Amino acid sequence: MEKQNFEKKLTEMEKPEIYPLKHEDMLANAIINAKDKSVVSWWWLSIPLFIIAMLLMKSVYMPGTTLISNIHELASREKYMSLIYFLISPIVLIVVNAFSIRKIYYLTGSPKSMNFLETVWLNILIIALSVLILLIYSL
Amino acid sequence: MKFPWFKRNGIFFIPVSIIGWIILLAGFVFAIYSFLDIDGRSHSVSDTLMNFVFILLIIGAVYSLIAYLTSR
Repeated sequence: MEKQNFEKKLTEMEKPEIYPLKHEDMLANAIINAKDKSVVSWWWLSIPLFIIAMLLMKSVYMPGTTLISNIHELASREKYMSLIYFLISPIVLIVVNAFSIRKIYYLTGSPKSMNFLETVWLNILIIALSVLILLIYSL
Repeated sequence: MKFPWFKRNGIFFIPVSIIGWIILLAGFVFAIYSFLDIDGRSHSVSDTLMNFVFILLIIGAVYSLIAYLTSR
């Protein structure tokens, strides 16, 4: 009798439901947000990179000039434009992407694996290029 | 205001509402106007292209920023 009751109880029991974890949604949103931000960052980074590529070509084809001298000439001619594209926008991009990486790092539970690097490699690349632009401008 | 106006697809933001399409169209019109303006003042094809690509990148950057802010 007792065994039958137990079997009945077992058949009546519902399957345990697994609720989606809240931090899982937050992590998914943070990754999507970071990817959207990197697209915007690429567009803004493409402007100083294009100017540097053009000045590099100019230094190759015009004897006696270098990339640094051409950038200094541009900075003296177009003071505000060079300040926006070579100083303000790389700093903003570094800060924005660093915050994205930090958010993803904490939401993934501070991992020590390569999976984290695979997720944020684009943000790291944007930061590296921004630092390079800042270095070229400050020389 | 009712969002989203855009949806990301790769490195581009595709309009999903009328306002989004109007913004994209405005970008195209400005790009064409810039091209004609630059072409009228430049001395060679490379001169036109270099200045036009620069303007195009600025239009793309501003467009992507607006699209990013209005895509959620």
